[in-house]
Amino acid sequence: MTDARFGGSSAGLLQRLRPTRVGVADLREAAEAVLPALATPRLRVGMVQRTGAGSALVVEEDERQVRIGLHELADEMTQAGVAPTATGIAAALTSWVAHRPVADAAAAAGGIAVLDWADTSSTRVGWRVVVRRGELALPWTPSSAAGPDEVRRTRSAASARAHDVDLALRVEGPVALWSHRDLPVLATSSLVDPDRMLRRIAAVGLEMPDMHVVVTPQRPVACAGPGIAARLAGESSEPSVTLPREELPDLSWV
Amino acid sequence: MPHWLAGEHRTELATAVRAALTGRDVHPVAAIHLEDVLTELHVAAARDAVWPASAARVRRATGWGEDVLPVRLSAAERSSVLAVPGLPDAVRAQLGDGRDE
Repeated sequence: MTDARFGGSSAGLLQRLRPTRVGVADLREAAEAVLPALATPRLRVGMVQRTGAGSALVVEEDERQVRIGLHELADEMTQAGVAPTATGIAAALTSWVAHRPVADAAAAAGGIAVLDWADTSSTRVGWRVVVRRGELALPWTPSSAAGPDEVRRTRSAASARAHDVDLALRVEGPVALWSHRDLPVLATSSLVDPDRMLRRIAAVGLEMPDMHVVVTPQRPVACAGPGIAARLAGESSEPSVTLPREELPDLSWV
Repeated sequence: MPHWLAGEHRTELATAVRAALTGRDVHPVAAIHLEDVLTELHVAAARDAVWPASAARVRRATGWGEDVLPVRLSAAERSSVLAVPGLPDAVRAQLGDGRDE
């Protein structure tokens, strides 16, 4: 399954190549079974009847609202290769709700600063607030209602929380690698405090006077001297950005 | 072109290179290249930790073991390694034909 919104319960290759349609009636049945249990005092999930346009699924949380027709959602699930069984559709629907947009209040209360791509061609990185939701970490985009002061406070608090993220440090010769056990996206949270990174690197016996970081959002962060960092990134076909530690504080918010 | 080396061969390569570097008859320029080879062995492992997908695809397609990693050497580094007298034959064979992807 290529669409992360519908979760990891991937259908087989044949299902993806020649997908069996997810039926609207089956989706409606799954929604009726699954949605009530997902609702919370802040999260409203349910179906509404639209005049002449069939039923729609509505997810509301604080200022955020997502509304999608059952036909459209069934088509998207079909395209993504969701298994057209009651279990498969229920799992995909639960995952779809879990991937709903992050509300301003949730970002303010629990956001964590990480690095993300700042352009569509994956050549620049910038800071972004993500919020943990179960096994996911979802990006926050400020709503139109969020004022500049609120956005600034949320980002500042997210940077502060990034200092407390517990990351694993692995040393591979002259390279220090930082990763998060559960959520790969959190690996870059360490970069809010490069001095702390250097202290931990020194504590395991590695000297790194001119630390450069190799960053691919969602992947472990590699730290090394400039020549080794260039060798690491230069021989990879994957996109990455290599930065001297001095440039980290100058990165802007995405 | 990367050389796909199993963990055992990487260990043998590193051991042979370190032994050569502690000897007295290695040329200073070759010594620099050999130091870079040791660096590359670490960097190859780091590269696989950061971006595991592409090597994993090759391993799946070829049936190679999980510890087979692409090691990327410059022509000068490869020549310096092949000149190391104690290089095990199995490693020499891997570096000689490149074990194509």
